[in-house]
Amino acid sequence: MLRSIRSALVVTACAALQINAAAAAEQVIVATTGGAYEKALREAWFDPFTAKTGIEVVTVAATNAEMRAKAAAMVKTGNVSWDLYLQGEIQTASAQHMQAAENLSDFCKRFATRTDLAPDDCTAAGVRLVSNSTLLAYRSDAFGGAAPRTWADMWDLRKFPGGRSFPDFNDPWRVMAAALLADGVSPDKLFPLDIDRALAKLDTIRPAVSLWWKTGDQSMQGFRNREYVIGQIWLTRARALKAEGLPIAWSHAASFLVGDRIALIKNAPHRENALKLADYWLSTPAAQAKVCEALSCKPPSSEAVKLMSSQARADMPGGADSNAVVPDAKWINDNAALLLERWNAWVQ
Amino acid sequence: MADLLASPERPSPTVKPAGFRSARRGRTASRYTPVLSLALTAPLLLLLAVGFLYPIGALIKLSLFMPTLDLSAYRKIVEQPIYLAIMARTFRIALLVSILSFVLGYPVALAMASLNRRLATIAAAAVFIALWSPVLVRSYAWIVLLQRNGVVNTLMAQAGLINAPVKLLYNEGAVILATTHVLLPFMILPIFVALRSIPRELVPAARNLGAGPATAFLRVTLPLSLPGVFAGSVMCFILALGFYITPALVGGSGSMMVATLIGQQATVLLDWPFAAALSTTLLVATLVIVLVFRKAFSLSKGFASVD
Repeated sequence: MLRSIRSALVVTACAALQINAAAAAEQVIVATTGGAYEKALREAWFDPFTAKTGIEVVTVAATNAEMRAKAAAMVKTGNVSWDLYLQGEIQTASAQHMQAAENLSDFCKRFATRTDLAPDDCTAAGVRLVSNSTLLAYRSDAFGGAAPRTWADMWDLRKFPGGRSFPDFNDPWRVMAAALLADGVSPDKLFPLDIDRALAKLDTIRPAVSLWWKTGDQSMQGFRNREYVIGQIWLTRARALKAEGLPIAWSHAASFLVGDRIALIKNAPHRENALKLADYWLSTPAAQAKVCEALSCKPPSSEAVKLMSSQARADMPGGADSNAVVPDAKWINDNAALLLERWNAWVQ
Repeated sequence: MADLLASPERPSPTVKPAGFRSARRGRTASRYTPVLSLALTAPLLLLLAVGFLYPIGALIKLSLFMPTLDLSAYRKIVEQPIYLAIMARTFRIALLVSILSFVLGYPVALAMASLNRRLATIAAAAVFIALWSPVLVRSYAWIVLLQRNGVVNTLMAQAGLINAPVKLLYNEGAVILATTHVLLPFMILPIFVALRSIPRELVPAARNLGAGPATAFLRVTLPLSLPGVFAGSVMCFILALGFYITPALVGGSGSMMVATLIGQQATVLLDWPFAAALSTTLLVATLVIVLVFRKAFSLSKGFASVD
């Protein structure tokens, strides 16, 4: 605890220095999850934006959970040093989120006439960045040509023998949801999740689970060294494995669609610049297309989808042939503490 | 806490010293007047008050008042078996780490304090290089060693000991191993200091009086090094209780420790009162256990050299 407080202080101090050093120039501070994601955003979105407006985009890296906690702390203490921060679609639908994020309803009115955007691409909680999926991925060389397609196949150890992997990063709904779908629950009756039934179904596969992954890198490493042959992982990571030359395939028939939003923190120091940056994103389909070409995600604008290559469109989550399940964000938020408590107790 | 850690070096009126003890301790502490002592320690005390006591107070307040007195966070810890189970596991792991650090660290400290210069230099270099390399690097090194196609599994397979790779990572054993590795210097250095301060003549004197090497060690060296052992054990135990990075990297789902749980509650659920209640419980339990340890050590006869 002390360790993390100390590192938080150091990060804050560094951020403060950064701000002071560049106070003269116009800028906007964005908290992202870093890595390949931020690189893609910078190349397609931040840099062209800076070239056009002269506003410098400064990024700070943190995990989604750290961002949520820090944004809440900043607003609570009245010491706000960020402008925009990334959050998962589900978390932005919570009441907690609106305590730290500014209501963007007025800002969103300008997109009301845009036909290429869905109504929820800009909401009070934030601007939709991209949509991703968590899905069933597998080593295509493991089953002699047979291909697992559904979550029930992931549970079928006779037909598809070998190790399994599921995520364990404090967000257990998608594992429980997969278990329920494997147990025969129809997608439209998935929520509210029957936690007891899900855990009972998970008991049956538990001995075969060789890794509960906590980070995206971990989820990839297990496929590389054949610790498991089927896993519930992020599509972006599955794509990265395939790009490495590994025989990895995935099934859109067993996938959950979850997006990211970019939210404006309350009392943001560069509020106007932040809104300009958010506006640039939704108004520039080319930038969205470039990001999703790189990350194999689904951009908000349908114009952006048209600009992507046919290969990227085919791999895209929630594409034409996909029947990805969209989670019930409200139920997940209302029951977050219960879900985590039951999960912690089960996974011990 | 600082007082507890410093205790082995504090002059004690209850131990009637053999001559060397008072000589070792010197008279420096009594040379300063109380006012000067206070002035010298004031910056540290101020830092401690602002940087430690105030946040701890705020933490305790956060866990108790929301905004009126409410004990529900503490009730949750007691009523849900999982939280006490995680707490118990954390203390068990910390205890095992302390014992393991002592068993592995004492010989190293002996080597560092030995009269053989080359041996002492090699041992000291090993300890300091370990101490100076970042925790992250050392934890990741264990992942490289223990993973499925890692060094250990490969060697065991080549030696014909195993047919299929064994799961060595992401479990409690890996947490204990890696945490012990990271904390070993905190055990070795206090023991080394204690060993070095034992007058060199004592062991030859014991031998001269007819004690064998084992007897001389058990009745002279070991008892006189116990203050260092105690300081090292307390330090390892307390640090292991709050260990965060290493368990997060090499631990699995079934080996959650309190620090990870606190992080989860604070960042994922934003349930700060509950996170604060868990932190407070951990702090109080730590203080109680350290005090009990201290009492036990100082009362038992063979440990009279520990203040």
